Amino acid sequence: MARLALLIWSIGPMLWQLYTSLRPTDALTGGASGERAWTLEHYLQLLQGDPPFLIYLLNSAVVGASSTVLTLLLAVPCAYALSRIGRTASLTLSLLVAGAAAFPAVLLFLALLEVARDWHLANNLLALSLPYAGLSLPLAILLLQASFRDIPLELEEAAVMEGMDLWQRLRWVLLPLMTPAMASASLLIFIFCWNEYPIALTWLSRSDLLTLAPAIARIGGSSVYTIPYGAFAAATVIGSAPLILLMLLFQRQIVSGLTQGAIKG
Amino acid sequence: MIANMSMPGSTDSGLSLRGLSRRLGHQTLLDQLSLEVPAGEILALLGPSGCGKSTVLRLIAGLDPVSAGEVWLGGRNVTALPPGQRQVAMVFQSYALYPHLTVERNLSLGMELRGETRQTIARELQRVLTLLKLDALRLRRPAQLSGGQRQRVALARALLRRPALFLLDEPMSNLDAQLRDDLRAELRDLLGQTGAPVIYVTHDQQEAMGLADRIAVLREGRLQQLGTSRELYESPVNRFVAGFLGSPTINLIRDGEDTQLGLRPERVQLQPASTALPNGWKARPGRVVHWEWLGDRVISHVACGPDSILKVVSKELCTDDDVQVRWRASDELRFNRRTGERLSSN
Repeated sequence: MARLALLIWSIGPMLWQLYTSLRPTDALTGGASGERAWTLEHYLQLLQGDPPFLIYLLNSAVVGASSTVLTLLLAVPCAYALSRIGRTASLTLSLLVAGAAAFPAVLLFLALLEVARDWHLANNLLALSLPYAGLSLPLAILLLQASFRDIPLELEEAAVMEGMDLWQRLRWVLLPLMTPAMASASLLIFIFCWNEYPIALTWLSRSDLLTLAPAIARIGGSSVYTIPYGAFAAATVIGSAPLILLMLLFQRQIVSGLTQGAIKG
Repeated sequence: MIANMSMPGSTDSGLSLRGLSRRLGHQTLLDQLSLEVPAGEILALLGPSGCGKSTVLRLIAGLDPVSAGEVWLGGRNVTALPPGQRQVAMVFQSYALYPHLTVERNLSLGMELRGETRQTIARELQRVLTLLKLDALRLRRPAQLSGGQRQRVALARALLRRPALFLLDEPMSNLDAQLRDDLRAELRDLLGQTGAPVIYVTHDQQEAMGLADRIAVLREGRLQQLGTSRELYESPVNRFVAGFLGSPTINLIRDGEDTQLGLRPERVQLQPASTALPNGWKARPGRVVHWEWLGDRVISHVACGPDSILKVVSKELCTDDDVQVRWRASDELRFNRRTGERLSSN
């Protein structure tokens, strides 16, 4: 029973959105006609819009992917270094990083806006990865650092004895063992970027460059007289589908106990 | 006093440690270790945990920096070389196999990254797979192997490099007792074939005695004694070495104010109390308080005086309660009771 309640609690709103997106506008706004009718009109409306809604998905995917890659490129060396230096230094730096992770990002908007203006970074999808990577870094570093710590030192020393340099050890020994941590870190970063609203809203103004969050917000504000529930719900469904798909794909990676039983019997 | 430091003339293909030291803050992990291991010799580093034996291994491997001293291998000073360039192979206590790779890839990865040709890799791989009977396991991952099989893979990885020196860090400690006994001879043969010097770290005296040509006993970072098992067993330089080798451990009893006698449990005899004492023998009266029957031998615990229990190994149970523990005077070891140094009375 408790599980069922939890399931309804977490999935209920999503199903409600799905339901809303498939109902004709009349049925949603309380009109009498078409009580039982189902329709794809909201989806068609989105897909045939100008610009077509799929471009926002693409934009978000580009921003999400580039931010994730950038974050990992920076986080891996940081996390490795933190896991290999002395305890006191590592603890101090980790606390600082955790502090940065806890810093309310909202306070940065004005500063970020100025950066975007002065460095001409506005309306540039790839440039958006800079603030995104900056905001995701602390969490990614902490996650990966814990994962580096979990790998027995002897394993890396064995690689050292075989003459592997730092890059080879990371590429062939350490990172492959961290696939679960890398996968969950990537997923968290990607989801953050996918859902991020305020920075995207202020950095992007050209309608063909919008990411999902501001694009969906625009649908809501497109008419003064009616609230387009159906289109809104359809946009939400399209927007969350890729995330759910990613979750399902990555799930195996995250769960798989790759290192289990590998060191000691 | 450090005994038995006589070295065979420095060999070109051997290992030579010269005043090797490692300090960490105020702590001295290893103090001025000098020794030579000629090619083909297995030297066991023996001592309790924290005695510095693993430190020695790490210094030779280059995994830790030396505080003083030099490591010479094959006639050249390798002290400043990074680990990968020393031609030293190491078998770790945990075996440290790459968990995500198959046996085959575990073995070949290092060679591939060193840029060996495909033919060389295939040939060398086949050589060690055959040598260690790993052919059937080549596609398994470490998690799918037993402890003994993992050890063989770790050995194979070490042999693959044809190194100038083998370092083994407690390679048996993860195996069960039965397997350990079976593998000892096999390991000895295998390492003997390579012709390179071998340093074998262990805290198990039986393993050291059964496997090594010579044993170096370490305590608190200092070399206590270096010699063959027999030399260490029969003429230990101090109480520590005497106590570390032999099972059950040597009996120590007071003999006067400053002296302690060391009596090996297998070199003393139990006799009925009234037995006459032959010439050149010594004896103490005692009472058997406890015994362990082990099939091939009996270990009797004999109380001689209020707080000294002697262990005696014999073939037969001694059924008398009141007994005489006797030994040849020439078999006793005498130690300074305070310092533990061996007294040279016999």
